[in-house]
Amino acid sequence: MIKVGIPRALLYYQYYPMWKTFFERLGAEVVVSLPTNKTILNLGVSRAVADTCLPIKIFLGHVISLIDKCDYIFAPAVISLGRKTYNCSKIIGLPNIVRALIPECPTILDPEINLEKSRYHLYQNIYELGRYFTSSPLKIQGAAKDAWESNLAYRSKMSREGITCVEAINGVDQTKRQLDFDSVSSAPLTIAVIGHPYVLYDDYLNHRLIFRLQSMGIKVLVPEMVPEESLDAAARRLVGIPHWSFETDIIGAGEYYLETKVDGIIDLSVFGCGPDSMMVDFVKHRAKELRTPFLHLSLDEHASEGGLITRLEAFLDMINLREKICV
Amino acid sequence: MRVGIPHFGNVYVPIRAMAKRLGASDNGLIIPPAMTQRTLDLGVKYSPTEACLPYKLTLGSLIEACELGADTLAQARGTGICRLGYYARGQEQMLHDLGYDAHFVTIDVSHHKFVSILQLIKNMADNAPWHEIIPAFFFGMGKLFALDKIEKVVQKMRALELEKGVANQIYREAVKAIDDASKGKEVKKITKEYIDKLNRMPKDPEVDPLKVAIVGEIYVVIEPFANMDVEVELGKLGVEVERTMTLSRWVKYSLLLNYLGINEWRKVHKLAKPYLDRDVGGDGWESVGEKVLYSRKEYDGLIHLAPFTCMPEIVAQNIMTSTKEDIPTLAITCDEQMAKQGMLTRLEAFVDLLSFRRKRRRDGR
Repeated sequence: MIKVGIPRALLYYQYYPMWKTFFERLGAEVVVSLPTNKTILNLGVSRAVADTCLPIKIFLGHVISLIDKCDYIFAPAVISLGRKTYNCSKIIGLPNIVRALIPECPTILDPEINLEKSRYHLYQNIYELGRYFTSSPLKIQGAAKDAWESNLAYRSKMSREGITCVEAINGVDQTKRQLDFDSVSSAPLTIAVIGHPYVLYDDYLNHRLIFRLQSMGIKVLVPEMVPEESLDAAARRLVGIPHWSFETDIIGAGEYYLETKVDGIIDLSVFGCGPDSMMVDFVKHRAKELRTPFLHLSLDEHASEGGLITRLEAFLDMINLREKICV
Repeated sequence: MRVGIPHFGNVYVPIRAMAKRLGASDNGLIIPPAMTQRTLDLGVKYSPTEACLPYKLTLGSLIEACELGADTLAQARGTGICRLGYYARGQEQMLHDLGYDAHFVTIDVSHHKFVSILQLIKNMADNAPWHEIIPAFFFGMGKLFALDKIEKVVQKMRALELEKGVANQIYREAVKAIDDASKGKEVKKITKEYIDKLNRMPKDPEVDPLKVAIVGEIYVVIEPFANMDVEVELGKLGVEVERTMTLSRWVKYSLLLNYLGINEWRKVHKLAKPYLDRDVGGDGWESVGEKVLYSRKEYDGLIHLAPFTCMPEIVAQNIMTSTKEDIPTLAITCDEQMAKQGMLTRLEAFVDLLSFRRKRRRDGR
């Protein structure tokens, strides 16, 4: 059976169910790399130019870890996901970066997803991707349809049930959740954590931030819990139509949660993230206007767990103190 | 209306020319003082920490324009991939917070450029008739082309001159003279005069200059303050500099010839294809292609300038390290932490490497 390797990094968190359905319907086996660990990070860091942002380095590490385990590596070039919006350069150039830095990599499947161009262009790219596995256009069409369905189901599951990407992919650990909420009988603090899914859900990269917050008895809200239409509308209220596709989720969630009066917002971004460096500033500005506590955490490969916890505790203490004074 | 513009290379010369032609009063166009450490400090202080250097420098420059009383500010805008799309928005918000009531007009540099720029000039000039706008525009552009023509010569002469620094002095005089010129004919005459003057300079007969090409992100490549005068410093080390990216080239193609289907970068993009086959925003694609181009042209070296955390150039840098074409490349990342001495040391080491390499090649080893 043909094995397709999917690195557990970058767009994996948003689109894994879709990709998995597509490849499995075409009779391929999907191999996902292990969750990020030190070896993977170091492998990635050793290849890339120093200024490259951490998620890309991690992606490279995942690709290297998959080399002997699969026949193809899936690294799409996602250029645009809507009219007049684009992705970050590094996501657009991803297959090229992988090819340049990892010459020993197996064949890279790099469909070009560009919704700025015609529908035909998209279908053509999906068809070409499917051609690696089957020669029947009908089969490819069926697989693509199923894939899209599973993507919609995945998105709506997250916003309906209020769960995170990882919980939606791996299944929710019900007992753990139940415990969390039982232990906090009084109204818990609600904190919205905004950021790219590949930062929020990579436990190695962010030192298990969401888990830490949850175990402190805090109700954590993430962008995926907001229905897509509300995200779009909120982002539009703040900056108009964002130029970067994935920023809609971040600033939309920021604005949405600010309007719904959460107790605080944590922005989790990585050092050197171009889109975040501009867009999060708008959310920060808005938080200042609404007098909502806002914490900007910038992560890189040197970020230490201790430093992160100290800042987190200080932030939560500040919110708690503030509540007391206000009441 | 008092229009302020940020500094970007010699762009103030054609803009001033247009404003004068269209009868703007002395206060109608405010050109901030040449960029200094203060500009940078202001920009850094009021920008998001992780914004890129062009953002910080243009913000600093605009703050200085506001201090001189500008109430309308011009800034570039692009669709999309790189941070440029949000320059105006972020800067407007910051200036507003600082208490300047300035209104931004943006020049879209990725779509409908020519028409939108002319329309913008028309709006700024109190709706002057088209038959005044168009000649004024071409008069301004004439100056820009003249400046770039002289610059091409000075980039060669800096390496050859007998007494270091003279060519640059002449170039500065030329910029001043062209800025002062008030007629198209005068501009032509001055251009010819200064090019002659530069060519007649006493040359060092023993110098066989190394040839280095400069590629990278357009703002840091063109603005000498952003790249710490890298071209002048290379000239002092006896290196002839070549740079494809100039403002006049941008005007010529992006504003005029691209409409006719002529793409100045087609050749460069084609060369980049084996390594990068799509536009990644900014000038990333071009940087990769130019590396291949200059390596084929047998240049001695390549200097790749990029602002710190520039997304397109990081893609380019990652790809450029592993191209088949082998040309020594020095990547210089420009940001507010950059120090001149540090850069000079790197340049000297790079130039040493290049001359050593050339010698070894000539000896046939």
